[in-house]
Amino acid sequence: MLFEFDSDQRLLRDTARDVLAKECPPALVRDVAENGADPGPLWRTIGELGWTGLTDPAEMVELGIVLEELGRAVDPTPFLATSTQFTPLAPDAALAGRPAAAVLAGITARRDGEGWVLSGTASGVLDGDRAALLAVVTDAGVFVVPASAAAVTRTPVFDPVLHVAEVSLTEVRVSGSDRGVADPGPAREIALTGLALTMVGACQRIFDLALDHARTRRQFGVPIGSFQAVRHKAADMHVALVRARALAYFAALTIAENDPRRRLAAAMAKAAAGECQSLVFRHGFQLFGAMGFTWENDVQFALKRAKAGALMLGTAAEHRSMIAEEFHAAHL
Amino acid sequence: MQLTFDADVEAFRAEFVDFLDKNLPRESEATQRSRSSADIPPWARHWQRVQFDAGWLLPGNPPEYGGRNATLLEQYVHQMELSRRRLSASFNPQGLGIIAASLLSFGTAAQKRDWAVPILRAEITAALGMSEPGAGSDLASLRTRAQRDGEDFVVNGQKIWTSGAHDADVILTFVRTDPDAPKHRGISVLLIPTDTPGVTRRPFGTLLSPNDLDFNEVFLDDVRVPAANLVGDLNQGWAVANGSLGHERTLLWMSFAERLEDLTDDVQPTSALERDRFATLAMDAQALRLLGSEALARAARGEADTPSLSALKLLGSESVQTATEWALEAAGADALAHPARTAPESPFHHDSYGAGWFSRYAHSFAGTIAGGTSEIQRDIIAGRVLGLPRG
Repeated sequence: MLFEFDSDQRLLRDTARDVLAKECPPALVRDVAENGADPGPLWRTIGELGWTGLTDPAEMVELGIVLEELGRAVDPTPFLATSTQFTPLAPDAALAGRPAAAVLAGITARRDGEGWVLSGTASGVLDGDRAALLAVVTDAGVFVVPASAAAVTRTPVFDPVLHVAEVSLTEVRVSGSDRGVADPGPAREIALTGLALTMVGACQRIFDLALDHARTRRQFGVPIGSFQAVRHKAADMHVALVRARALAYFAALTIAENDPRRRLAAAMAKAAAGECQSLVFRHGFQLFGAMGFTWENDVQFALKRAKAGALMLGTAAEHRSMIAEEFHAAHL
Repeated sequence: MQLTFDADVEAFRAEFVDFLDKNLPRESEATQRSRSSADIPPWARHWQRVQFDAGWLLPGNPPEYGGRNATLLEQYVHQMELSRRRLSASFNPQGLGIIAASLLSFGTAAQKRDWAVPILRAEITAALGMSEPGAGSDLASLRTRAQRDGEDFVVNGQKIWTSGAHDADVILTFVRTDPDAPKHRGISVLLIPTDTPGVTRRPFGTLLSPNDLDFNEVFLDDVRVPAANLVGDLNQGWAVANGSLGHERTLLWMSFAERLEDLTDDVQPTSALERDRFATLAMDAQALRLLGSEALARAARGEADTPSLSALKLLGSESVQTATEWALEAAGADALAHPARTAPESPFHHDSYGAGWFSRYAHSFAGTIAGGTSEIQRDIIAGRVLGLPRG
C-alpha cells in the first residue's frame, strides 16, 4: 500500500487551498454568521472549479481533498450535504449547480397502487432548508422528492454558519421512477468519510490558529509556545490530527477502490475525527486563553464546525462500538 | 494513493514466501529460548545463517552481506511477511540493525570482513555502548574517554543499559576522543571485543525478575583497543550515531505496528467496554500502518523526513502501552500469575511474547523510553515539525 498523494492530488489540494483563501476568507464566514451574507458567489465558484462534478465514487479521494480544504475554510455553502449525502443516494437525480440534501431517518413509505406515499418528520437535516431536492431514506428504499413538496424549517444551532432543518412530509405521493439507490449502505460510508474529512479540515484550522497564537503571544518575556506544557499539548494535537487524517483518507481510498474494508474504514474515519476534534477543541481553546472565548476571535467558527461534525451521523463512541465486529468481519 | 503494491513488489513477496515455506524452522526445534538480546540459541543461529546464505537476511544489502539489493518497498513487504508469522530474522536485533548496519556504512573493508559478516552470519553477537549514567536523552554529553597511545586507544569510563553486553562478543562503543571540542564534535566510535582486559560487564535484572538479564553496566578500565577498531573518522562519531540510528528510525514504527496487529489477534473483546477499547487498538494499528507507509514512500523517493518520524514513534509506543494495559486488565486476576504464560506465545520471535500480560505491559515502557523518550519526541515534534520556538 502506498499511502501518499500523487502529483495531481497534491496540485488539487494546493489549488483548493489557494482558491479558498481568496474566495472563502474568515471575513466571508463572519459576514455570513453576523449579517446572513449570501454564500451564493462561493457556491458558483465551487461549481466552476468542477468540484460539484466529483460524483463518481472512484474520485472519492479527490472529493475528500476538496472537503478537507472546505472544512478548513468553514465552508458556508451546502456542498457537504449535496456531494456526500444527496448525490451518493441519488446519483442520477443530481442537478449540476443545485443544492440538495438527504433525509436519513424519520420518514415512512406506504405502498399505494403503483407508487408510494411518504409521511413523517425528520430533524437535524443538513442543509434541508436550502436544498432544491431531497433524497429520502425509508424502509421501502430511497426516494427523490422536490423540496417544494416538504415543509421545511431551519433550526438555530450553535454553529452559526451551518444550516440544519426540520423536514416534514405529509402524504407526499411518489412514483416508482422517483427511486434513488437500492442500498443506502455505501452512500452512508461516503457521508461518514466526507464529514470526517470536513472535521479534519476544521481541526487543522483550529490547530493553525492556535500555533500562530503560541508563536506570537508573549508572557514572562517569551512566546508561550516555548513552554513545555504548551509544546507537548501541540505535539499531541499534531498526532491526533495525522491519525485522523490518515484514517479518513484510507476510508476515501477504500470507497474509491470499492474495497471490502470500506464499512470498517468509514467507521474508523468518523470515530478518529471525533476523537481528534475532542482533543484539538480542548487544547486549541485552552491555548488561546480568554481570547478564545470571544465572539471576535475567528477560531470560534472552526471550533463549532468541528464539534458539530462530531455530533452528526454518530459520535466517536457510537462508531467505536461497531468497529470490533466490523474488524472481525473484514479480516476473515 | 493505492491500496496495493505494484506487480514487481508482489513478485518479490511471493519469492520470499516460497523461501519461508521451504525453510521456516519447525516449532519443535524452536523450544530453546534466548536469554538476552545478544544470545542466539543454536536453532536460531542456523535459521539466521540460512537467510544470510539465500540473500533474505537483510534484503536491502548486497549479496555478500546477506541481501539482494532490494528496494525500500521490497524490504517493507519482506518485514511484513516476517511479522505476519511473528518471526525474527535474528535474535541479536541490535547486532543486525545497528552494529552491522553502521559497519557497512562507515567501516573499513577489514571491519566489514572481520566484524560485520560474522555478526550477520550469527557467528558472533554484538551490543551497543551508547548510554552512560550521565548521558541518556542527552547522549552527546557522554564522558567515556579514549586516548591515543601508539597504535592503540586507551579507554576509561562506564556505559549503562548496554543490552545483551554479557552475552555479546563485541560492543560498538561511543567514546570521547576530544574533550576540548564542542560536545557533538569530540565523539568517536570503537569496536571493543568483550574479552579485552579491563572490560567488566555486570548484568542487572529488570523489574520483572532479578534473573531477567539483558541490561548491563559495562566498566572500561585502561582498555587497550587497536586503532584499527576505530569506526568512521576520528571525532566523527555523531555522524555514525545519526547514520545508524537514522536507518533504525525509518523502520522503528514498524515494530510498534506489528505489536498492535499482534494484539488485534491476541485480544478477544467480550464486553462493551472491551469492544470500545478494541476499536481504539484497531484504529491505532491501521493509522500507524498508513502513516508509516506514507513515510516509507517519501523515503523511497529520497525525501526522508526524520523529525516527522517522531509522531509515528510517539503514536506507536503509546498505543502499544495503552493496548497492553487494557489486555492486562481484560485478563483480570488470572494475569497475576508470574512468571507465567498468560499471553499468547511466539516462539520464533526474540521479544518476550512467551511471558504474561504483565510482562508485555511492562515491556511497553521500553517503547516509550528507549530510542528517545515520549517527552523528547513531543519536543522534537513541537520544535522541528511545528516550528514552535525553543524554551
